[in-house]
Amino acid sequence: MPTTALIADDEPLLREHLASHLARAWPELQLVGQARNGREAVAMFEELQPQVVFLDVHMPGLNGIEAARSIGRRAHIVFVTAYEQYAVQAFEQGAVDYLVKPFQEARLADTVQRLRERLARPAPEMGPLLDELAAALRERAGTAAPAHAAAAPRWLQWIKASVGPTLRLIPVDEVQYLRSDEKYTLVAWQGGDALIRRSIRELVEELDPDCFVQIHRSVIVNLRHVQQVVRSGNDTADVLLKGRPERLPVSRSYLHVFRQM
Amino acid sequence: MLPPDTAPPMPTPAAGSAGLLGGLTGRSVAMAVALAVVVAALLNPLFMPPFPVVLGRTLFLAMVLLLAFHAAGRLPVHRLPGWMPRWLLQLLAIVLAAPLATACIYLLYAGGNVLALFDNPGVVAGFSWIAGTGLVLGLVLALGALFRERDAQARNLALQFALERETLKRQAADARLALLQSQVEPHFLFNTLANVQALVESGSPRAGPVLQTLTEYLRAAMPGLRDAQPTLGDELARVRAYLSLMEMRMPDRLRWQVQADPALAGLRFPPMALLTLVENAVRHGIDPSEEGGEVQVLATARPDGGLQLTVQDSGVGMDGAGSAPTVDGAASSPPAGGTGLANLRARLQAMYGDAARLTLTEPHPHGLRAEIRLPPPDARSGVTPLP
Repeated sequence: MPTTALIADDEPLLREHLASHLARAWPELQLVGQARNGREAVAMFEELQPQVVFLDVHMPGLNGIEAARSIGRRAHIVFVTAYEQYAVQAFEQGAVDYLVKPFQEARLADTVQRLRERLARPAPEMGPLLDELAAALRERAGTAAPAHAAAAPRWLQWIKASVGPTLRLIPVDEVQYLRSDEKYTLVAWQGGDALIRRSIRELVEELDPDCFVQIHRSVIVNLRHVQQVVRSGNDTADVLLKGRPERLPVSRSYLHVFRQM
Repeated sequence: MLPPDTAPPMPTPAAGSAGLLGGLTGRSVAMAVALAVVVAALLNPLFMPPFPVVLGRTLFLAMVLLLAFHAAGRLPVHRLPGWMPRWLLQLLAIVLAAPLATACIYLLYAGGNVLALFDNPGVVAGFSWIAGTGLVLGLVLALGALFRERDAQARNLALQFALERETLKRQAADARLALLQSQVEPHFLFNTLANVQALVESGSPRAGPVLQTLTEYLRAAMPGLRDAQPTLGDELARVRAYLSLMEMRMPDRLRWQVQADPALAGLRFPPMALLTLVENAVRHGIDPSEEGGEVQVLATARPDGGLQLTVQDSGVGMDGAGSAPTVDGAASSPPAGGTGLANLRARLQAMYGDAARLTLTEPHPHGLRAEIRLPPPDARSGVTPLP
């Protein structure tokens, strides 16, 4: 009975490429299916029960590692990845094979050789290896794209708010102040006003305290947009904003915010 | 408590007078004492009483004037009538305080007997000398102090603006660097090369054109190989190259169209501004979706002569791109690509100030729509149509 295999990759050209190379390097191998994503791969595996599964690590929906977890020890897994660096160590420790795209024919021949030897034995336990791979993948997501990771924003960056019929993403830098009543919070930003359903108490925890300070039980102001603080008698003050007519009251208990200025 | 790059609010009246009070304890008191001594020494020959008495009078007057000046400065502005600025009040305080304080000195001296004072021509002359000198010197010093205060405020403001500009510049430089580093991502490069290899090995006629597209894209995206005067046409070429490479990689999941008014191709354009949005759309909108979607890029002239650019995708949207699902109207956690977008905004801000805008909205039923609005060429410095 010939050995059966499944290929999962979201890029059709690469699926075909691997399939045609396998046909040459391992003529007896019977390719039973080609999946376009992790979910499909798992479904096809359950249906066709192939002995070998080639899994692209990066796939939409369910990625290769998640798919491998679901397949478990029921098949021999070969991971296929375009990005060697992050995972090589994890791969080398494990009893699982991997191919780096674009792959070389000789490397594929090695893989075929190894798979033939291993098929006689049960597939290895992959749990710890998969944990390690998943961690490496997460780490890569954090370091490989500096534009996104450069100091992973600790504070809220965008506030999602309905403005008329559209849902808008308001950059918090442009937010001038937030004022809440019982049910809603008014977001006043450079482009207008919007209402959101979150309380001041929640928001103040998520906003960068270097910029956003609470000046009243129901008001948070962005210091970058403060033009002037006018002290009035009776231990209170008003905050004037750049480019806005409103005066925001600073209540007595929050006056210390401006004491040192 | 302010971070270094935050513009502190303008000095409040209270804060301003606190600064003056700081001066009161140090320099200004010393200066007033010194002047009082000098004036006393100069006036001494005119006076009958001994030097210490004259000195006492001038010192007392100097201190009263100083206090009057600062006290007037401490009054909150909104208590004053609208027509009276604070500096005028401070000068008036001096004008009033000089004769009144001198009168006090002499009343004390005459035991409260006003008539006795006027009978003595020597005393009247002394009064006039002390009050007059105090008035003149007091006014001169007050004006000086006021000018210094205004100067300090202006310097403060100028420093603030310089700081803000520096911050923006730094942010723009950071953003550019981050862009350069992230541009040719190994993951993208090797996956694309794997596809090219597949085309070559299968003898596909598409291999040549695809390789050429990759070369074009790399030439444009490589650090150091940027054209000095990038135009919207260049940027659109980059965008098309990127999208056709991604289409080769995911033909069943990515559809795209780029529509641009050909007349706009010659406009100068910040490099990578549009490409960043397009890459975001593919990477965070289309790629995580099993069904994929469409990316539409639109460049049009605005009625005011400015530029309107739209990148819309029908992908998973911000919620799908790695952040927790949120209810309607709730603030979402930082979405994937949030910092990339923040960088782009910083660059636009540095180049055009408030005249440029980047807005994000979520179209129905899902996806993300990013719009860049640039001001007309004449309104933005350094960005003019090429001849």
